[in-house]
Amino acid sequence: MKGFEYYKPSTLKEAVGLLKEHRDTAEILNGGTDLIVRMRDGHSAPGVVVDIKGIKELHELSIEEGRVFIGACVLLNDIGLHDVILKRYPYLSQASLSVGSKQVRNRATCIGNICNASPLADTATPLLALDAEIHIYGEKGIKTVPLSDFFVFVRKTILQPDEIVTGISFKDDPENLGIFYKMSRRKEVDLSTVCSTVVKRDGKYGISFGAVAPTPIRLPKTEAYLNENALSEAVIEQACKLALEEVSPISDVRATKEYRQEMVQVMLRNSLSEWL
Amino acid sequence: MKFVGKSVKRVDGIKKVTGSLKFVDDIKLSRMLYAAVKRSPHPHANIISINTEKAEAVRGVKCVITGDEFTKRGGLYLEDKNFLAVGKVRYQGEAVVALCAETEEIAQAAIELVEVEYELLPAVTDAVEGMKADSPLVHPDLAEYHWAPVFFPKPGTNISNHYKLRKGNSPEAFEKAEFVVENKFFVPHVQHVPIEPHTAVAQMDVDGFVTVWASCQSPYAVRQALSVAFDVPLNKLRVISPAVGGGFGSKAGTTLEGILIPLAKRCLGRPIKLTYSREDEFENAYVRQGLHANIKTAVDDSGKIIAVQNEFVWDGGAYTEYGVNIAKAAGYASAGPYDIENVWTDSYCVYTNHPVGGPYRGFGMCEIHFGIEQNLDIIAEKLGISPIDIRRINGMKPGGTTGTGEVVSTSGLMECLEQVVSDIKLHEKPVSNNPKKVRGKGIACGWKAPSMPNNAASSAVIKLNEDGSAHLLVSAQDIGQGSDTVMTQIAAEVLSISPDKITIRTGDTDHTPYEWQTVASRITYSAGRAVFEAAKDAMDQLIELAQIKLGIYKRDLELRDGYVVSKIYPDKKVAIADLAIGLNFEDGSAIHGPVIGRGAFIPPNVRNADKHTGLGDHPVVFWTYGVQGVEVEVDLETGQTKVLKVASCFDVGNIMNPQLLEGQFEGAIVQGLGTALFEELMLKDGKILNKSFVDYKIPTADDMPEMIIKFVENPEETGPFGARGVAEPAMVPSAPAIANAIYDATGIRLNTMPMTAEKVLAAMKAKNSKG
Amino acid sequence: MKKWIQFTLNGEDVEHEVDVHKTLLKMIREDFDLTGAKEGCGAGECGACTVIMDGKALNACLVFAVEADGCDLLTIEGLAVGGVLDPLQVSFIENAALQCGYCTPGMIMTAKALLNDNPNPTTDEIKEGISGNLCRCTGYKKIVEAIEFVVKDQNA
Repeated sequence: MKGFEYYKPSTLKEAVGLLKEHRDTAEILNGGTDLIVRMRDGHSAPGVVVDIKGIKELHELSIEEGRVFIGACVLLNDIGLHDVILKRYPYLSQASLSVGSKQVRNRATCIGNICNASPLADTATPLLALDAEIHIYGEKGIKTVPLSDFFVFVRKTILQPDEIVTGISFKDDPENLGIFYKMSRRKEVDLSTVCSTVVKRDGKYGISFGAVAPTPIRLPKTEAYLNENALSEAVIEQACKLALEEVSPISDVRATKEYRQEMVQVMLRNSLSEWL
Repeated sequence: MKFVGKSVKRVDGIKKVTGSLKFVDDIKLSRMLYAAVKRSPHPHANIISINTEKAEAVRGVKCVITGDEFTKRGGLYLEDKNFLAVGKVRYQGEAVVALCAETEEIAQAAIELVEVEYELLPAVTDAVEGMKADSPLVHPDLAEYHWAPVFFPKPGTNISNHYKLRKGNSPEAFEKAEFVVENKFFVPHVQHVPIEPHTAVAQMDVDGFVTVWASCQSPYAVRQALSVAFDVPLNKLRVISPAVGGGFGSKAGTTLEGILIPLAKRCLGRPIKLTYSREDEFENAYVRQGLHANIKTAVDDSGKIIAVQNEFVWDGGAYTEYGVNIAKAAGYASAGPYDIENVWTDSYCVYTNHPVGGPYRGFGMCEIHFGIEQNLDIIAEKLGISPIDIRRINGMKPGGTTGTGEVVSTSGLMECLEQVVSDIKLHEKPVSNNPKKVRGKGIACGWKAPSMPNNAASSAVIKLNEDGSAHLLVSAQDIGQGSDTVMTQIAAEVLSISPDKITIRTGDTDHTPYEWQTVASRITYSAGRAVFEAAKDAMDQLIELAQIKLGIYKRDLELRDGYVVSKIYPDKKVAIADLAIGLNFEDGSAIHGPVIGRGAFIPPNVRNADKHTGLGDHPVVFWTYGVQGVEVEVDLETGQTKVLKVASCFDVGNIMNPQLLEGQFEGAIVQGLGTALFEELMLKDGKILNKSFVDYKIPTADDMPEMIIKFVENPEETGPFGARGVAEPAMVPSAPAIANAIYDATGIRLNTMPMTAEKVLAAMKAKNSKG
Repeated sequence: MKKWIQFTLNGEDVEHEVDVHKTLLKMIREDFDLTGAKEGCGAGECGACTVIMDGKALNACLVFAVEADGCDLLTIEGLAVGGVLDPLQVSFIENAALQCGYCTPGMIMTAKALLNDNPNPTTDEIKEGISGNLCRCTGYKKIVEAIEFVVKDQNA
């Protein structure tokens, strides 16, 4: 690994200042489980690394004023085993606990998973289905952006070089229902071949799939159809057909396009059937 | 017996659980240098030019070498490889230039500056295609190579060995046969995945002495190969293997050690280290050869196999110095553990521009049994008889003959079969409580002999210490299988002293005596015999001295608990501590000197087979037989297969250490499961697409099935306490048993490995659309 | 760039100047000669480098050494205090839960952290808990049994 300068600021302002100063060569270090692998493989060679773990407010997981807020530095294991998340959003817990190994999840963060913007990011589908919002801190202050607008392409987000994601939030809804489904070659410690989350809140569906497009996506047509039609086996089959039209998986080393297409239907069908 | 047959705890246990055992990468020597290697990005290309100027100019770089300086070819059975490419590269990843520098970082940075110009050549990426007359040649100069006389390369082609077995008259038998069944099978390359990647350190001193520390299964084989390649006499070349973090065959022979010697020659007095990354491990260490198998079988209506005709085409990769013997071993084992009158086999080892094939646990047996054992089930179904019955009818029993015409005196195969059928409850159809899943059961048999030269030798030395303790010196490597402990048990049993009074030292060609290699599941058997002989030699000396001391005839003396004791008068005894360095007399004189037990062993009477027919009455020293039964559950929607339960029973001759023996089988079963369901080196145009753990998956603890492991003991006459080798045979039936179970569950048969969820689902869909 | 860091290593307070780009694994192995943690893949997939930092098991290959500043680090070498083996270490030997020994330090550290978090795990929880540690030799059966043995013993 090539050498770099290391900074550990204690405030967001300091952090953004460093990112701005070293615009072209700085990378944020959070959990490190993506960054260090990329650096080892030669895909990333930052001249400056800004460790944000020294910024206290980024470690917060709070449920207040009707919103769940997960700070940037909250670990996947901590989200997965959080009392309220386990009880109220078990599918988000499952998704968090499905990333890597236990050791990886003791360092890796949900925000890191999101910002890495892999098409198959496991924590992306539950958060997309929950209409989550990303909180971004820049020189001009904080703004929130719907997660669905955050992802641009494979490993590309709207985040500017001098911005930091401080966390992600979604409306707290104790009545919500959701199912997370991860299809992978090996049950433990594997990337998703396909992953999905189906959520139902206030009678409305939120359906998100990963590894079937350049970014994790929602399936608006399928959702609209389900919002208007009461669940039945026939409705579920039609929903699966619609879902197929909204996904565009490719063939790669993990699976073929055809297998992914098949799995999209299997996963959606099984998820919705739970609520029949 | 006091120690043999007991679950004596591992003698290396404390060092391993405390992390204090030093593996080669843990070794830090003063003034150490670090090597880096420039590798070919192309699977087949001529090397047009190499420019090392920029690399040489980097501060901290000590020397840079290319293959042109060392053009002597080497290899275990066929001399076809160089440590650095000479003139052309034959696989993606082949080493072309090496350098060493003061730090790892400098070495890595400098190697990037080496420039190599290539002229691309068409690559051979399929072994069957590679056999065709118009195929590009991977080794156009094959005619100039040297090879052991039991191999038959075909210069002018990519065939590096054509093994023939002609027993009886298959063509005639096929003409007369009532039923003929023909099937094809394909097994891709997989990698051993030892958790410790390959590592070596080499140092050459001003006086010409060379020391190599290598994580290797066979320090003497490394010594021999390096001596020949670099003209260093054996007495000036020392190879030390301090610890091996898993081998499975990948660390047999030589891999990276030879790259370091020329560097060491240029940097006298400085140790130079090279450690493989995990990616290197997938690409540049041995891999298991691929196999295209065609199996044709003639059966009569009672289920008796009358004749087989096999064609095995092995994808040997770029160099087959080791692989030629895999083709041979598979050839002579090609009938499987069955008594068949007519056997016609052609086993071809073919060069391709794929990673280098080499010894992998099973040495061809896992691959061929994937075909043989499925083929049997296919035949059984056609005839309307059960998988058990077809194996009962044809399975090897004492008095039967093998494919080479050898008459079998010992075979526990039938007992193993009945045990597994019972343990897996084969007659009870398994039912899943999930309507979207189906369950099935399957069995498979397997056999293997140690595949080694007829004169593969072992030796051992036992030195008694003045306090009655002893040192045991062998070069059998404990690569995890527990040989350190079992060898100690054998010595302890014969000498009748507690195992903790014996210290075993291994893996140092200057200090521990010759061992051919730790491969072939031969160590318990062969090194065990050498240790037995050495202990017996020490015992004989002690009894001779005691005879004088006690005035009792040696026939009536025995060793017991650290003493030489009279069998008749138990109070007449002398401590071995008092005889260890000689016998003292009352008048002050003394005789004999230190008691040093010496043992050597070569398996008796292993003779060459006929080179045209492959027939021989004793071409291998013994066969190990066994059976596995498997229960699987298949998800009808996703094709995912879960192995729920595995029952295994093998004829091991004698259980030397129950816990360690179980451990071998548990590991073998899970490794077999990995190759059956997940593992494959995905190659496209000669390039590996998945050379990391991200996309090459091996089983985790969560994939482990329930395992019922039993043994049968029909002693191996020439084995120590009757033991025979088991570590590889244990894995042989795994994949086909799973394949047969998947068939039982779903009615689909997969002729290729791995049997991934995607393949299973596609096959189920195809079957449903047809039916 | 080098940086001074202060941390507790196996119960001892240490101060060390480390190359910022070195991973925690390289620092432990090269600067402190504690070679129990191994590099099996360097990418967080095999678990052979598992150590316990601030009570959590993690892959030392995925942490920069400098991030250990202010932390409490425990490696396999720190487990046997005063030469007395940890119950897990004893159990691994008694139950033959190791073969080549290369994955063993990482495996034991993962098990240690697992039992610290959950002193009474089920078999499935154990299997899941150690699935980030690859072993090629043992097939995992005796490893799971060795951990279960300690669980039973400690809860008796």
